[in-house]
Amino acid sequence: MTQDRSEMSEDDDDQQSSPLDLPSTAIASSSTPNKSRNCISSSVTLKSQTFPDHVLENVLENVLQFLDSRCDRNAASLVCKSWWRVEALTRSEVFIGNCYALSPARLTQRFKRVRSLVLKGKPRFADFNLMPPDWGANFAPWVSTMAKAYPWLEKVDLKRMFVTDDDLALLADSFPGFKELILVCCEGFGTSGIAIVTNKCRKLKVLDLIESEVTDDEVDWISCFPEDVTCLESLAFDCVEAPINFKALEGLVARSPFLKKLRLNRFVSLVELHRLLLGAPQLTSLGTGSFSHDEEPRSEQEPDYAAAFRACKSVVCLSGFRELMPEYLPAIFPVCANLTSLNFSYANISPDMFKPIILNCHKLQVFWALDSICDEGLQAVAATCKELRELRIFPFDPREDSEGPVSELGLQAISEGCRKLESILYFCQRMTNAAVIAMSENCPELTVFRLCIMGRHRPDHVTGKPMDEGFGAIVKNCKKLTRLAVSGLLTDQAFRYMGEYGKLVRTLSVAFAGDSDMALRHVLEGCPRLQKLEIRDSPFGDVALRSGMHRYYNMRFVWMSACSLSKGCCKDIARVMPNLVVEVIGSDDDDDNRDYVETLYMYRSLDGPRNDAPKFVTIL
Amino acid sequence: MEGYSRNGEISPKLLDLMIPQERRNWIHDEKNSVFKTEEKKLELKLGPPGEEDDDDSSIIRHIKKEPKDKSILSLAGKHFSPSSTKTTSHKRTAPGPVVGWPPVRSFRKNLANGSSSKLGNDSTTSNGVFLKNQKCDDDVKTMEPKRQGGMFVKINMYGVPIGRKVDLDAHNSYEQLSFTVDKLFRGLLAAQRDLSSSIEDEKPITGLLDGNGEYTLTYEDNEGDKMLVGDVPWQMFVSSVKRLRVIKTTEISSALTYGNGKQEKMRR
Repeated sequence: MTQDRSEMSEDDDDQQSSPLDLPSTAIASSSTPNKSRNCISSSVTLKSQTFPDHVLENVLENVLQFLDSRCDRNAASLVCKSWWRVEALTRSEVFIGNCYALSPARLTQRFKRVRSLVLKGKPRFADFNLMPPDWGANFAPWVSTMAKAYPWLEKVDLKRMFVTDDDLALLADSFPGFKELILVCCEGFGTSGIAIVTNKCRKLKVLDLIESEVTDDEVDWISCFPEDVTCLESLAFDCVEAPINFKALEGLVARSPFLKKLRLNRFVSLVELHRLLLGAPQLTSLGTGSFSHDEEPRSEQEPDYAAAFRACKSVVCLSGFRELMPEYLPAIFPVCANLTSLNFSYANISPDMFKPIILNCHKLQVFWALDSICDEGLQAVAATCKELRELRIFPFDPREDSEGPVSELGLQAISEGCRKLESILYFCQRMTNAAVIAMSENCPELTVFRLCIMGRHRPDHVTGKPMDEGFGAIVKNCKKLTRLAVSGLLTDQAFRYMGEYGKLVRTLSVAFAGDSDMALRHVLEGCPRLQKLEIRDSPFGDVALRSGMHRYYNMRFVWMSACSLSKGCCKDIARVMPNLVVEVIGSDDDDDNRDYVETLYMYRSLDGPRNDAPKFVTIL
Repeated sequence: MEGYSRNGEISPKLLDLMIPQERRNWIHDEKNSVFKTEEKKLELKLGPPGEEDDDDSSIIRHIKKEPKDKSILSLAGKHFSPSSTKTTSHKRTAPGPVVGWPPVRSFRKNLANGSSSKLGNDSTTSNGVFLKNQKCDDDVKTMEPKRQGGMFVKINMYGVPIGRKVDLDAHNSYEQLSFTVDKLFRGLLAAQRDLSSSIEDEKPITGLLDGNGEYTLTYEDNEGDKMLVGDVPWQMFVSSVKRLRVIKTTEISSALTYGNGKQEKMRR
């Protein structure tokens, strides 16, 4: 997970070097373009330009090629026309946070030497079924434009895009030097598209399919890799819900000497994992597949799983356990002491099974798990994992009225034990202001605080008060906070705190919170860095929406669903702000004359409204 | 149709109409206990059994259904207010499920139901389902992955490990289909035969329908029967076809009799 900058990109997509970049994983540091390539390109330019007027540009080019951060590059490009031109020539990785903010043509007109594209599509709330399917975010126009403009393209990193098999086929055909394909939360393609990529992209180093929906076309895509030694460094297919040809996989791993990261899907059993590990001791990141087996094994033939793990001295990142048989968990003991990243979020492990494992994981920095480990398990984490930077606790039973094995006790323990914590996502059923305040005081390094109290409008379960003070303390005390997600019973006061103290907040998620328009106004008027605002089911109306007009051109997007907005107001805003695309998304049977806006999704765009909007989207 | 919110004041007349005899007996007997907090979950409400809701559930549903609600609720004698104001004293009745809440992606949602089967066709992993009329469980599953409109059927060709999909909605005749098959597989077939194939070496795939070519197009219909493509009227074909296969013409009789000549199934 650590190495997957793409997975963490919601949190740190503006930072080029994630604090969790570990030295042992040199791969997928997607932010750093290969400097030697830039050198080659600029020296070509040098030779062709001998006029004195261009000397300054040559110098500039040589200097600018070292600029990696896109924020720095954006700033440099604003200095003057000359700098703009040179910067455009030397930018090799382009990041587009909203695929509808500009057209593909604009991209290729400005940047001529792009080797790497990071592109994001649908807004995050689409993951939770708040948006009808077929809304858009199609990769097709991008790949077809780039096919002509960037034949040297090496890397494509997509998030929440709709990608078809034909798009993948075009990609595989158009870019002979293609090296890295990363698809996060994407859909629209199947194993046949993947097969075309594995077959035709002979220089493929990275194929990462992460949390994407991949249809099973009954194609043996693993067998489609070329027969000779591959360049593969990372292969992640844990989200692919289709059986794979294990023999072919074994052969592939055997002829991939550079393979460092391998994430298997749940169709790979423990026995098969064992065989793979024996053949690939150089792995640094491993997704263990199902971690179980079908038939009753005869005990005398049971392989020594612990020995296989013992042989993997380099493994620092462990995930998988998709269908964990807990009695085999101790097999991972040999690698625990080296682990910096552990993902148990598919494993329903009890505290008793969990504690012996975690007590060995002193170096752990990233930990994802289910709440089945209970407060007790979290206390064990707090006692051992002093280096913890990121914690995510997911609900085993994600319903509002489920039992809730973790609570404020776990949060309090973590805050006391893991002082270096930077990012937390915590699902629970009950919470107190006191624990949240404690975390705000104990963990000053927090940049991401996402607390989801699953019962809507739930107050502090000890005092009965709203959760205002807790979240208020977070924005006040965590001076580095850039991302916040709130929940529980919240009044306008919580938002007053956010507006007053949340000066660095870029991403804010609100659900079932607030009392009136004032709440949203506090945020829109008080948070100058706000980029991404997603709100659902909260009583914010036209007055609040109008109060943010001075900000919308500086934001990536605003999402408001099931609030109290009227079409009239949205039309007004669309009229006054021509570079803002204001989409009103309804359902198919909506009456067009209704004034009520079910879902508002608005974003700035350089190229006007899109032309691929489905009929349930009205662009005002 | 959707669960409405109310706190137990139901007109007895409507109750007669809506609640079957057995349940009504229960509610009369348990009158005192109905209003205890835990048993609020069991309280009868308007709406299908099993679906429950509370006052401040998704405004989407309330306001959407408002016109219909009003008439029924006036019968029930309760004033319907679609406001979302909440008070701290609001006691929650058993909450109904709300779309997209808690915000957990669907592939993380089925852990509590026990691991999905290993057969691989889990529609529960489908996260493209927009729950407009939300249900408690995922019975809006689709077995066949839905694409952007279009009727897609899988097509495999003998000698080519990579299968494709064909959108039959985009075709009007067998000739068009035959053309598409050629387009889809010509390159792949050439690549299989010869490592150094170039565009000029690729042979068009012809004679799929008349038995004259090297290959023939067959299909599997909704009853599992394997047939030659082209015998029935186009619309009839489209309505019954489930899967397409391009086989060697020499193998027609054995392919149609013994099974579909599938390549090895991908099991462990």
